[in-house]
Amino acid sequence: MSTPMLEIKNLHVRVEDQEILKGVNLTLNRGEVHAVMGRNGSGKSTLSYVLAGKDDYEITDGEILFNGEDLLEMEPDERAAAGVFLAFQYPIEIPGVATMTFLKAAMNAQRKSRGEGELSTPEFMKAVKEAASLLEVKQDMLKRPLNVGFSGGEKKRAEILQMALLAPQLCILDETDSGLDIDALKVVSEGVNKLRGPDRTMLVITHYQRLLNHIVPDVVHVFSDGRVVETGGKELALELEAKGYADFDAETAA
Amino acid sequence: MNIQAPIRLSAAEESLASQLDSVGAEGLATLVRDKGLPTRRVESYHYTDLKMLLNDVPPLASAAQAGGAPATDIAGAYRIVVANGIVQNSGTAPAGIAVGTVEGPVMASRDDLIVSLNGALGKQALGLDLTGDVDPVIHVDHRFEGAAAHVLSRTRIAVAAGAKATIIETVSGSDAAHLGNLATHVSLGEGAEVTHIVVDMSALQARQFSNLEYRIEANAKLKSVMINAGAALARAQVFADFVGEGAHSDFLGLNVADTDEHRDITLDISHAVPNTTSTELYKQIVRGRGKGVFQGKITVVKDAQKTDAKMMTQGLMLSDEAEILAKPELVIYADDVVCGHGATCGDLDETSLFYLMSRGIPRADAEVMLIRAFLAEIVDAVENESVSEVLTDIVERWLSKDV
Repeated sequence: MSTPMLEIKNLHVRVEDQEILKGVNLTLNRGEVHAVMGRNGSGKSTLSYVLAGKDDYEITDGEILFNGEDLLEMEPDERAAAGVFLAFQYPIEIPGVATMTFLKAAMNAQRKSRGEGELSTPEFMKAVKEAASLLEVKQDMLKRPLNVGFSGGEKKRAEILQMALLAPQLCILDETDSGLDIDALKVVSEGVNKLRGPDRTMLVITHYQRLLNHIVPDVVHVFSDGRVVETGGKELALELEAKGYADFDAETAA
Repeated sequence: MNIQAPIRLSAAEESLASQLDSVGAEGLATLVRDKGLPTRRVESYHYTDLKMLLNDVPPLASAAQAGGAPATDIAGAYRIVVANGIVQNSGTAPAGIAVGTVEGPVMASRDDLIVSLNGALGKQALGLDLTGDVDPVIHVDHRFEGAAAHVLSRTRIAVAAGAKATIIETVSGSDAAHLGNLATHVSLGEGAEVTHIVVDMSALQARQFSNLEYRIEANAKLKSVMINAGAALARAQVFADFVGEGAHSDFLGLNVADTDEHRDITLDISHAVPNTTSTELYKQIVRGRGKGVFQGKITVVKDAQKTDAKMMTQGLMLSDEAEILAKPELVIYADDVVCGHGATCGDLDETSLFYLMSRGIPRADAEVMLIRAFLAEIVDAVENESVSEVLTDIVERWLSKDV
């Protein structure tokens, strides 16, 4: 069998004095969509930040391999260039940085690290225009500073727009459904579904099952108290929705 | 009675006193001999102790020709060169601009040695009378040329009632340890609309004093931008008096400092009549062992009801050895006013850096993006595009410098 795209082995992570992840094991193969479900505080977002390379987390044990390489040794920008993308739960507002300038800088930085030349302005504009119309991102939004004055839904669409433009191998979606109404959820989900493919793997972190009606996963993991307590097919999400997290907590304790 | 022991004069003070003697300004010479340069005991010089910082005063400048191209070329601007304080041939002035020379001090006399020195030692002033809708940007190109010299340069700008103009003054020149002393008085007639920008780009071994004074009449609108981007020691003083109701002004400024540079902007604004409004936004960015100083004083007199003044200063520190000093000060005698001030100071925001890096932008590039973003508010405040571009260039030049 070929190397999995992402292997997380016995990952232990602390923040200050608290252990948040207590031995996470996950294997994601190329082309698969995995969902991670769990209640607030179970460590789902910590996992997404650790994958993207945020500071403030201390890895006390375990390893993460991305296409067989040690992801934890890489800086956040190197991870991005290697093909890791995190769609933030709370995208950061950066006044003074124009959205278009940012998009171009990000695309060209990744191209440069792969030894490709810079995009010409027409090529860049065309790519943005296509992705924007797919995600119903208005031109007016693109003219504003990065994420500044965007509604919750606009921020999430802008994240998926970035994902479409950067074409990563591994997409991590952290609570992408939070703050979205039904219509926005559809738009975002369709945008994500269009990006599914045999060479792209997705890790969809969510709290509710409803997102998984739109982005149907291949594998569902239940997260509780910093580790995976159950893994199953897409029906596991429905079971979880019906029974709640309490049963799974009992398994952890057992 | 206060008996003072005679102070020991520094070399700089001796030179200043004898320069004042040479032009017959005995009163001021005596003052320098008695009191010396302002020290940190003088409140407005608390963070910029000139007795400590000003080691020498070069000889008074003699007339010179401006050497070479301007330090910054503003597309479409009408440029007037003032070389070592003397107005050069300025060509035919466009409509609405009357160019002349004025004798005597340009600023009101005030209890400030630097302003007084400009008044006593300056030879002539550039006089600009502006009327109507002045189309081209006016660029006053102050050049300090030749060997190190004490250069006094002055400008008196009178903007007629209802007139509109954009004026930028730049200070640049030969690579020498000049001591520059710039004084500009701008009067805004009723309903006048003025953008006035002063950029110090003098040589890095120079010492530069920039003194701006505004007199703002009823319903006038002023945007004032002071940028300290040159000199080892730069101190700018911005004085403004609101003298007519309904006027509004935006005061902006920027200190950029690295290595051992010392950059100071000290603001003194007086809302002297009712119903005037102002905003103040001053930013500082320091790295190396650079030091940035901002002092902002807003006075609202007893009768100046309904004054609305909001002052903000923000500092960005890019090294552990750099220093930022900020002192906002509101002196309010009226009881029905809206005044506020705020100050922030810190490093680049780690969360924003992480966000940019998570999209593949390397740390160094992400830092530059955030620094640019920090500065954008000042540069973008200038509506005229060619001027805004020039300011962007100046900022970019500073950013791309190796430190």
